Amino acid sequence: MSQNLEHSFVQQLQANQNIIHKICRLYTNGEDAHKDLFQEITIQLWKAFPKFRGDSKFSTWAYRVALNTAITLYRKSKRTIATIEFEGRQHFTPDIDYNYEEEEQLKLMYQAVYQLNDIEKALIFMYLEDKDYQEIAETLGISEVNARVKMNRIKGKLKKILNPLGT
Amino acid sequence: MKELDLLKKDWQKNQNSFEQVSETEIYKMIHKKSSSIVKWILIISVLELSLWTLISVAFNTDDYFKKLKHDELIFYFKILNVFSYVVIFIFIYLFYKNYIAITTTSSTKQLMKDILKTRKTVQCYVGYNLAMIVLGLIVGFVIAFAYNPETIALKSKIAENGTVMAITFGVLFLTILVFFGIFWLFYRLLYGILLRRLYTNYKELKKIDL
Repeated sequence: MSQNLEHSFVQQLQANQNIIHKICRLYTNGEDAHKDLFQEITIQLWKAFPKFRGDSKFSTWAYRVALNTAITLYRKSKRTIATIEFEGRQHFTPDIDYNYEEEEQLKLMYQAVYQLNDIEKALIFMYLEDKDYQEIAETLGISEVNARVKMNRIKGKLKKILNPLGT
Repeated sequence: MKELDLLKKDWQKNQNSFEQVSETEIYKMIHKKSSSIVKWILIISVLELSLWTLISVAFNTDDYFKKLKHDELIFYFKILNVFSYVVIFIFIYLFYKNYIAITTTSSTKQLMKDILKTRKTVQCYVGYNLAMIVLGLIVGFVIAFAYNPETIALKSKIAENGTVMAITFGVLFLTILVFFGIFWLFYRLLYGILLRRLYTNYKELKKIDL
C-alpha cells in the first residue's frame, strides 16, 4: 500500500515538476539553492500527500504546498550568495520573429520581478500561471478584492522599477 | 501593462526549459530529512519544554522546609507542586494541539498564524517559568528572613544599617536583571534567526487585508 502511494506520488510529481522548478527559480538565485528548495518542496509535498484526496488536480494542490514551503518553511541555505543579476530564461532559443527590443524588455522584466518581496512574488507567480483572483486569494489567505488591489500595486511597483524616473 | 503581458507569454512558453529531475532522484529525495523551520521549532520547543519541566521538578524545596520546622509551609508548597504539574500538562497539551494543526495545505496566512501560535505556547511556558522563578526568589527571600534562624544576624544588621539593606536589595535586583537579560538575548538571537523572514512575510500579508 505505502509502496503504491509512493509510486503514485513520484509519477505525479515527475510529470508536474515544472511548477516546482518555476517557484524555485523565483525564490532562489543559484543552482545549489534551486536544488535545495526543490528537495524541501518535494519532502513537504510527500508529507502532505496522504491527505491529498484527488478531488482537485495534483497540480492545483501542489501549487499551495510548494508556495507555502518557499515562503514560510524554507530556510535559505548559507551557501546562497545574493546576486541581483537574474537570467530568468535559461535555455533561450530565438524565435523566427526574434525581436531584440522585446528580448531586452523581457530581461529587465525578469530582473524587476526578482526584486519584489516574497509575498509579491507569490502573487505575480500565480498571475503568470493564469490563476484567477479567487484562487490567488484562497492560496494566500487574503480577500479577493484585496488580492486585486495588491496585484495592481505590484504592477505599479514593477513599472517604477523598470522606469524609476517615471518618464 | 504591456511588459507584463509580454512576460506572461514568455513565462508560459518556457514551460520546459528546466533540467528535468528523474523518478529515481525523486525517490531519493522523499527519503531525505526536511530542514524546514517547523522542524527546527519542534526540536527547540521540545528541548525547552523538557528543560523547564526538569528544572521545576528538580527544584525540590521539601528538605529546606523540614529544616525550618514549619509544616504549614510544606503543605502550601505541596499544593503549589500539584498546581505546577497541572500547568505543565496544560502547556504540553496546547503545544501538541497547535503543532499538529500546522499543515502546508492551509492558506499561507493560516499556516503562518499556526506556526506563530505554536511558538507562542512555548513562549508563554517559558514566561510562566521565569515568572515562577522570580516569584520563588522573592518568596524564598521573605521566608528566609521570617523563618530561618540563620538569617537573624543579617536581619538585625539590615534593620540597623541602611547601606546593608540597599546592598542586599541591589544584589537581588541585579541578579534578577542579569538573569532576564541573558534570556532575552538568547531568545532574540535564536528566534530572530529562525523567524525573521516569517514575521516579515506575515506582516506583509496582514497589510494587504488592512
